[in-house]
Amino acid sequence: MTRAASGRAFPWDAVGLIVLIAAAAVAPDVLRALFGRASVSYLSIVTNALSLAILALSWDMLARTGQLSLAHAAFYGAGAYTTALMLRHLELPMWLGIPAGGVVAVLFALLLGSMTLRLRAIYFAIATLAFAEVLKSIAHHAPTAFAGGNAGMNVAPLFRPAFVAGEMERWEVAFLRNEAYFYVYAGLLALTVLVSMALQRSRLRHAFTAIRTNEDVAGVMGVRPARMKLLAFMLSAAGVGMLGAVEAHRIGSVLPDQSFAVATTVLALVTPIFGGLYTTLGPIVGALGLSSVQELLRRVFDDGYLIGYGVVLVMTILFMPRGVVGSIGYAWRKRGSGPSRAAPSAAPGSDAAGAPTRAASDAPADDPRAEAGGDA
Amino acid sequence: MSVLLRTSGLAKRFGGLAAVDDVSFEVQRGEIFAIIGPNGAGKTTLLNLISGLLVPTAGSVELEGRDLAGLGTAARCHRGLGRAFQVVQPFPEMTVRENVLVGAMFGKAGIGRAEAERRADEALAHVGLDRRADDDAEELTLMEEKRLEIARALATRPTVLLLDEVMAGLRPVEAREAVALVKRLRDEGLTIAFIEHVMPVVRDLADRVLVMNYGRVLTTGSYAEVTRDPRVVEAYLGADPEEATP
Repeated sequence: MTRAASGRAFPWDAVGLIVLIAAAAVAPDVLRALFGRASVSYLSIVTNALSLAILALSWDMLARTGQLSLAHAAFYGAGAYTTALMLRHLELPMWLGIPAGGVVAVLFALLLGSMTLRLRAIYFAIATLAFAEVLKSIAHHAPTAFAGGNAGMNVAPLFRPAFVAGEMERWEVAFLRNEAYFYVYAGLLALTVLVSMALQRSRLRHAFTAIRTNEDVAGVMGVRPARMKLLAFMLSAAGVGMLGAVEAHRIGSVLPDQSFAVATTVLALVTPIFGGLYTTLGPIVGALGLSSVQELLRRVFDDGYLIGYGVVLVMTILFMPRGVVGSIGYAWRKRGSGPSRAAPSAAPGSDAAGAPTRAASDAPADDPRAEAGGDA
Repeated sequence: MSVLLRTSGLAKRFGGLAAVDDVSFEVQRGEIFAIIGPNGAGKTTLLNLISGLLVPTAGSVELEGRDLAGLGTAARCHRGLGRAFQVVQPFPEMTVRENVLVGAMFGKAGIGRAEAERRADEALAHVGLDRRADDDAEELTLMEEKRLEIARALATRPTVLLLDEVMAGLRPVEAREAVALVKRLRDEGLTIAFIEHVMPVVRDLADRVLVMNYGRVLTTGSYAEVTRDPRVVEAYLGADPEEATP
């Protein structure tokens, strides 16, 4: 019963964000104090997890409007290629490539979003997948002098910490570099979380949910589906575009098959499903959870760990269809109000007379037979 | 009285089938206007054309003298068209209040959160759902879902409310309550156009009745006039319309 007052309820999300930011601020130093030299690789594992969280949370923001995108590799690759092309052809500060990557991804999102407005479900998914493949193909076939062709382009690192002999050990150079990247990713994630939380607290949350549940009904109630879907597309692409740009610097190169990898798209969708869809927390929990599982399995099994990873994924989706966060939240809500919610079917009105009407086809269906069926 | 809603030569063809064919009628401000006809006569398609879910093959819809051509569902809602569906379709992931809040927040432009919540609660009280406001929408009974459907439309503050078979599936007691609700809404200044199969309900509510058959207008008039019309009687398979109801 507390959900109705969610606007005035205790701001758990804000508290959670502050705790996360505090944890991120001290994480590199804690890792270093605990693990010394090994903290270099731990930092990059954690950074990978943050990267996955940014990708997953951004994907989820679009999914909240019912648009299950298979195009997120396109936004990621667009961001990566934007910063690489700027470095290669323009004399601009390197850091500008990151916001520019976000902007270019947003423009692509606007283009793709307006083309797919009327497509639903599987048709939407196929169109978005094709879009990503087209961009990949363009990256392959663009003139080598311009965009590097199959060989891609080198991208300078954002950070080059200097080795100071006598004052630090060799590994500390790598640590400083990884630490700097870690903070960039943490900052980008914080930004994405803020956008997601703002969405969840505003009236847009209701608009997104309404469109996802029934676009026709949402429209009749005054929600503008086209506008909302495009907005979600742009917000979703912005973070992923910037992520792609930062990753290009961290990896040191862009390549068509790596920057527009189908794996990016798959992770973008699997992670929120694992963690819990349509929330801010779910995709983050999903990213941290999946990264941990993957790392643990890699350490235990060495080769073939991906089989175990797949098993964990399938089991979670089979037995926790709402995702980790969704399932816990569901159990929590069921806890207090058992009997009153247990037997809704026993309520008056949902008797035999009601059943045929409810089973009838959707009223606003684009089909004259819908009426005949509904009238029965 | 002035004309609030007017359709002129409205038509919708699906391939070779004319679901709605040359339908022209006027709804006066403040009246309760019934649309009746046998199964498949094109009544729901007609409402879909008016509310913008379907694009007409020909003809026009005017609200308060302004042509609605080219406007989507949301824009029409903002102009004052409210719509309740025949198959009730609440947003199951939301509470009852949140369902209505969507209509209150988005039904008219520039509504603040506080004002939207006030309008939502008002609409809920209007249909007698205020006590269930915080329950999940999927827990409602059929009658309650129908009330929710109307509350959502009311929360958009329409000038004309389109109701699609609100009485279907209701028991007599519930139907009487629904009739009383519709009358109350009209007394408060709302104009209502509704599709209905239950003839006693049409008799009790309608100021004027439009009879459709095979997508076309058969006749328009008072309840007494149309039920005396031999073409109407024939359309209902020769039966007395009062007995042709399910």
